[in-house]
Amino acid sequence: MATTARELARHRETHESLRVIACVAIALLATTAREAAAQSAALGSGRIEMSAGAAWLSSQAFGSADANETTSANAPFRLFSTSSELGSAAGLDARVGVRLAGTLVVEADASYARPELRITTSSDAESATGLTAAERLQQYMIGGGATWYVPTASRVAPFVAGGAGYLRQLHDRALLVQTGRYYRFGGGVVYLLSSQSTGTLKATGIRVDLRATTFKDGVALDGDTHVAAAVAGSFLVRF
Amino acid sequence: MRWRRFTRRIALATLIAMQARPALAYLELGVSVGGRQVKLAWPQATVRYSVSNAGVPGVSATDFQAAVGRAFATWEAVPTAAITYQFNGFTSALPGRDDGTSTLGFQNRPDLDRVLAATSFVTDSVSGALIESDIFFNSAFAWSVAPNGEANRFDVESIALHEIGHMSGLSHSALGETELRAGGGRLVTAAETVMFPIAYAVGSVAGRTLRADDITGITDLYPSSNPSQPSGSISGRVTKNGTPVFGAHVVAFDPVTHALVGSFTLDAQGRFAISSLPPGPRVLRVEPLDDAEIDSFFDPSRNVDIDFRVAFVDRIVVVPRGGDSGEVTIEVVPK
Repeated sequence: MATTARELARHRETHESLRVIACVAIALLATTAREAAAQSAALGSGRIEMSAGAAWLSSQAFGSADANETTSANAPFRLFSTSSELGSAAGLDARVGVRLAGTLVVEADASYARPELRITTSSDAESATGLTAAERLQQYMIGGGATWYVPTASRVAPFVAGGAGYLRQLHDRALLVQTGRYYRFGGGVVYLLSSQSTGTLKATGIRVDLRATTFKDGVALDGDTHVAAAVAGSFLVRF
Repeated sequence: MRWRRFTRRIALATLIAMQARPALAYLELGVSVGGRQVKLAWPQATVRYSVSNAGVPGVSATDFQAAVGRAFATWEAVPTAAITYQFNGFTSALPGRDDGTSTLGFQNRPDLDRVLAATSFVTDSVSGALIESDIFFNSAFAWSVAPNGEANRFDVESIALHEIGHMSGLSHSALGETELRAGGGRLVTAAETVMFPIAYAVGSVAGRTLRADDITGITDLYPSSNPSQPSGSISGRVTKNGTPVFGAHVVAFDPVTHALVGSFTLDAQGRFAISSLPPGPRVLRVEPLDDAEIDSFFDPSRNVDIDFRVAFVDRIVVVPRGGDSGEVTIEVVPK
């Protein structure tokens, strides 16, 4: 029962987080729409764009698996059950981009987080008390992609972004490395704090990303692909 | 012949019908030579065996040879292990003779009313090397080689698979559950190893398939020279109130493949080790040997502790590629 309650709480927490993200996105886009008509400031000049900040990635459920023995009739006999997940985690997020043309930026990105891999045991045939076994991973994501800014003269520039990359997850004490891929798609806004056409530093701003990231392989215990929601906030500079 | 002068026969009663017998997870057999423990294993890559040319009602010698041949082939098919078996032909000799030939066959032993089959060994008393191993099937029981088994008859292939595990150097595994029978003894509820010491119910053919515990054991004894990936191990200690626990059964569950592999704490420090495991995370579960009689496996002088509760380890244990997990300390509590 405790497990079920925890799972429900976790799902509720994830859904609430997504709802908050959606509200923030709508609010920012609405702001953008209002300001676009009135403002005349450039999106920002400069060809090189760098940003760094913090990110939060939602949990990924890996489903359940039974530890089975086999009966005389070749049927499974459950010794105990497990359910597993990769917990949500905050981490660091950074990217470097080059503006190709207009409002299209190609970029390389990297992130680091320490999510917790959890396996919860239950329903033991010999009444062992269920518990959650856990370990803290180191997770690296390195990839590339593109960001397209909606053309606007506003200080607030919405964008859509997508990309793919390499996933590297290190188990406890780096005893084992598991790798995979990720694909991300999302959007967000950049709010320019300053913008100038002269000098090396062309602009500074705040970038907020909301994205869905699909993970393939890595520590996924069920071997499936999993989608996690992510939100990131970073400080942006353009040169 | 020199080997006769320096050999000794080790009798090992093995598969028991409906009687409690304690077990070891994929433990390997060993012999004491000059005060040191030597792993009981074949020095050569190919083990040759003969089959007695006497059948029993319902199972001819040819049927018997075909069934044990399938069991040998099952062990031989383990891709991570490098051991092969070769049929040398029929013989008029019975198993149990120190003739330098490993022989499988029936013998009528009504006195062993709970022993379905047994494996014995001849070893070199100087080097400890395995020279011969015989397996007898007790013809006091009814046997079958039917593809799907037969009611009220034990399946030759299943029992042979178990005995060949012994012949190859494996001891018993405790990966099984039993329940007490009203008339005495125990009945297997389920098992996840062919090396469980108590046979499945008569008529069952569930014991024809090797499980992860068996595969890990044979791989550890005869590792392939070209493994597809390096294996790793888990090691640690089990303590109770800070005191080492001897004879605790530690089981590693792989949440990816769902494989179960077990071992025991086997020294005065309560240490255990499970080796030849594929890399990856594991859930560890430790349980007392409270399903069966202890002294069939452990020396009666050893103090096997069964007074503790079944427990899980509260952290994920990682099997590295080609290394060890590092010591995992498991504290159990009394019942």
